[in-house]
Amino acid sequence: MNQSAPDTLERASDDETYYLNMGPQHPSMHGVLRLLLHLRGEKILDCEPVIGYAHRAHEKMAENRSYIMFIPNTSRVDYLSGMIYNIGFCQAIEKMVGIEVPARAEVIRVIVCELNRIQSHLLWLGTFMLDLGGVTPFLYCFDDREEILTILDRVTGSRLTYAYGRFGGVTMDVDDVFIEQSRAFLVRLRERFLMYHALIRENVIFQERCRGVGVISEEIALKYGVTGPSLRASGVEYDVRRAEPYGGYERFDFEIPTEKAGDCLARFDVRVREMEQSCRIIEQGLTALPDGPIGPKKLIKKLKPPKGEFYFAVESARGHFGMYILSDGSDTPAKIKLRTPSFSSLSSMPDVLRGTMVADTIAIVGSIDLVIPEIDR
Amino acid sequence: MSGPPTLDLRGKILETGESDYAVDGFHHRYSAGADQVVAIAEAFRASGYFLEMLTCEDRRADLHKMRLVYTFNRFATADRHLVLVELAPEIPGAEAPSIAHVLPAADWYEREVFDMYGVRFSGHPNLKRILLPDDVDFHALLKDFGRIEDAPDAAQPNSESPRDTSE
Amino acid sequence: MPRTFLDIFGNPLLALGAGIGGVMTVLSLNTLFCIWFERKVSAWIQRRMGPMEVGFHGTLQTVADMIKLLGKQLITPRGVDKPLYHLAPLMVFAPVVAAASLLPFSKTVVLTNINIGLVLIFMFGGFAVIGIFMAGWGSNNKYALLGAMRSIAQNISYEIPLILSALPIVLLISAKGPMYEIEGEMIAINGMNLAHITAVQADTGVWFVLLQPVAMLIFFIAILAETNRAPFDIPEAESELVAGFHTEYSGMRFGLFFFAEYSNMLIGSMLATVLFFGGWDGPILPGPVWFFLKAYLLIFAMMWIRWTFPRLRFDQLMTFCWGALIPLSIVNLLVTAFLIKVL
Repeated sequence: MNQSAPDTLERASDDETYYLNMGPQHPSMHGVLRLLLHLRGEKILDCEPVIGYAHRAHEKMAENRSYIMFIPNTSRVDYLSGMIYNIGFCQAIEKMVGIEVPARAEVIRVIVCELNRIQSHLLWLGTFMLDLGGVTPFLYCFDDREEILTILDRVTGSRLTYAYGRFGGVTMDVDDVFIEQSRAFLVRLRERFLMYHALIRENVIFQERCRGVGVISEEIALKYGVTGPSLRASGVEYDVRRAEPYGGYERFDFEIPTEKAGDCLARFDVRVREMEQSCRIIEQGLTALPDGPIGPKKLIKKLKPPKGEFYFAVESARGHFGMYILSDGSDTPAKIKLRTPSFSSLSSMPDVLRGTMVADTIAIVGSIDLVIPEIDR
Repeated sequence: MSGPPTLDLRGKILETGESDYAVDGFHHRYSAGADQVVAIAEAFRASGYFLEMLTCEDRRADLHKMRLVYTFNRFATADRHLVLVELAPEIPGAEAPSIAHVLPAADWYEREVFDMYGVRFSGHPNLKRILLPDDVDFHALLKDFGRIEDAPDAAQPNSESPRDTSE
Repeated sequence: MPRTFLDIFGNPLLALGAGIGGVMTVLSLNTLFCIWFERKVSAWIQRRMGPMEVGFHGTLQTVADMIKLLGKQLITPRGVDKPLYHLAPLMVFAPVVAAASLLPFSKTVVLTNINIGLVLIFMFGGFAVIGIFMAGWGSNNKYALLGAMRSIAQNISYEIPLILSALPIVLLISAKGPMYEIEGEMIAINGMNLAHITAVQADTGVWFVLLQPVAMLIFFIAILAETNRAPFDIPEAESELVAGFHTEYSGMRFGLFFFAEYSNMLIGSMLATVLFFGGWDGPILPGPVWFFLKAYLLIFAMMWIRWTFPRLRFDQLMTFCWGALIPLSIVNLLVTAFLIKVL
C-alpha cells in the first residue's frame, strides 16, 4: 500500500490543506488502525479509516474446520471480550442443533461473560484516559482488571483468549473459591468506582475534553448500524440481552443504562453504569447458582446441523455481535459471517470526525472502544 | 411524535419464505431480484430499520448462483428481515446495485463483499478492497480459492516450503 | 550583597569557565536526579515500585539510561533540513545554561549579579521556542511540525501571564526604594535584580507568596505551560502527536531535549522560589540547601500534577490563557499598583 501519498481522498485545490497518516503505527490507534486525515491546520476536513492490517481470515478458517474446531477461533476475533464471543458461538450452535444446556452451566456462562464485560470496560476506561493524557487511571484499571483475569484464569485455564465454552455447557466447573473470589472482587470494585468517580469523572479537564465532543446521534447510529454503549449513549435503549434474550439473561434483573447527549462523556457514563449493572448480574448469578451438571455427559464431537441459514446475536462489550451461519448439512460450516460491532462503529467515524480537531480525534476514537482485530477479523 | 411508517415491501420482493424466529433467528425471510435492492433498502430505511449485516455466499456448487444476504433489524423491538438476492455465478461478472447512498452502513459491507467474493456493486462511491491488500489478485472467500489443506506445504507441516529454500 | 564569580576569580574568562562548569554540573545532576525522581513519584502515585534494579532503589538507573543514550546511533532521517535539524537541540539547550547562571542560589555567592536578571531569564526562556520550532520544521515530519506549531503558540501566549504575574513583585521591591538598608548596608535597590528580590524577602521576613498568592498561582501555571509539562504537554502530546517536535530525534540529540526539559523545570521552580518563596531564606540550614529544597518541592508538585490530570485540548489551553490567566494577572497587577500607591 502506498504509504506516503493518499490513496483516495482527492487533493484539494488550495495549498493550505494536507494529509496526515495517523497509524498504523501510532501510540493511540489501539493496534493497527490507520486513519488518513485530511487537515487544515489542526481541523479535520475529512477522514478515511484504512483497515485490514490485522486480518487473520477467521471466516475462511471457519469453512475449513468442523464446528467444534472453530471454538478457539472465536475468542481471538475480539480478544477483549473473548469469553462473550466464545460462549456466544456455542449458544448459536446449540440453538441451531437443539442442544439443551444444564441450568448450572447457563448461570456460570452468564457470570463469566459479565466478568469479561467488566474486564473489557476497565481496559477501555484505562486506555481512554491514556488517550486523554492521564496515565495514572490506566494503571489503576489494569490493577482491577488483573483480578478478573486471575479469577477467570483459575477457572478457564486462560487469561485472555478463552476456549471455555462447549456445545451444551462449559469445560470446567466452578468451585467455592471462585464464588468467594468473585464476591470479594465485586466489593473491591464498588469501592474503586468511588475513586474513579473522584479521580476521573469529577475532573474539570476530563469533562471539558469530553462534553459535546464526537456526538453520535441516533440518526448516525441508525445509518451506520452503530450498537452497544455508543448507541445507548445517544438515548436508544437497545441491548441484545434485552431485545433478543439469550442464555438465560431473561431471568436476571438488570437495567440498560442510557444517556441523552451521545458525546464522549455520555459514552463514558454509560460504560461505567454498565459495569455496575454487570456487578448486579454477577451477584444474582452467584446467589442463584444451582447444582447439577455443567455439560452433556458425553462430549459432542460430531454434529451435523440442519441445512439452511441461521442468525444468532449476543451483546458483546462493544455491541451487537451477530453470527450468520450457513449450513450445508455437513459437519463443517459452509459459511460463517461474523458481524462485529466495532466494524460498524468505525465506519461511522468519517461522519463524526469531520470538523473536529486532531486532539478530539483521539478522544472520539478512544471513546467508541475499538478493538482492531475484531474489525479485521 | 408519530413513529416511522410501517414497512411496506409490496411489489419489491419475489417471494416470502418460511422462517421461524425460535429456530433460525429470522422473523421474516424474502428473496428478491437484484434490481429491487435499492427500493427495498429505501423502504427499510423509511420505516426506521438499520442494515444489520450484508454478506455474500458462494453457492455456485449447489445453486449455480452467487447470493447476497442482507439482514435488516430495528432498535425498538427485534424484527429481523432476511433478504436473499441471487446473482449471476460468474466472477468477475456478478453485479448488484449499491445501496450505500441509502444506508451508509452498506458502504463498508459492500467493499468487504467485493474484497472477499469479487461481486461488484454498481454506483458504489469507493469500491476497493477493504481487508486484503490492494494488490492481491484473488477473492479469498470464494470456494474455488481453495481450502487450507490444499496448500502445497500444509499436508506435511515439517517439510520445507519453497519459500524457505529460495532464500 | 553577595559576591559574584567575577569578584572571586578576578579574571572574567576564569569566572566564565567556572560558571559554565558549575551550571553544567548542577543541571546534569538535576536531570539525572529528576528523571529518577519522576519515575519514583509516578510509581508511588500509581502504586508501582518504579526502577529498582540498578543501584539502591534504582538510583543509578538514569546513569545507565544515559550511557545507553550515548551509545545509540544518531539517526538523521532522509529529507530533513540538515542545518536546522542539527542546530535545534543546541538551540534548545544553550539558553537553559545561560538562564540557570542568573539565579541567586545563596546569600553570599552568586554566579552573576545583574540588575535586569528577571528580564534576561524571560528572554532566555523565549529562546527555547526558536529551538523547538527549528526542530519541528527541520524534521520534515508532520507530527513534529504540528507539535512545534502548538509549542510556539503555547509558549508565546503563556509568556504574557508569566511576566504579568512577576511584575507585582517588581512593583513591591521598587516601592521599597530607591535606597534600601540590608544588614546595615544601604544599596540602590532594583526590582528586577533577583538577588535584591530575595534579600528583601529575607530582610522583611515576609515571603511574597503571602502578599501575592494569586500571582504565585498564575506564575506556577504559566511555568507548567512554559516547560511543556502536563496538563499542558500539548506540544509533545504522546497519544496525539507521537512525540511532538522531537519525534525524529534519536540518541543523545533526544537526550539534549530531555535535558533541556528537566533543566527548564528546575529553572522555573528556582525562579518561583526566588520570586515567591524567599529564595535561600530559611532557618538553621544553609541558604543553598533551602533554595534547592524549595525548588524541588515545586518540582514535586509539578510531577504530582502531571501524573494526576489528563491533558487539555489545544484550544482550551489558549482560551484558558487569554480568557482567564491574562485578565486575572492584569487585574492583580493593577490592584497591587493601586494598593502600593494608597498604602
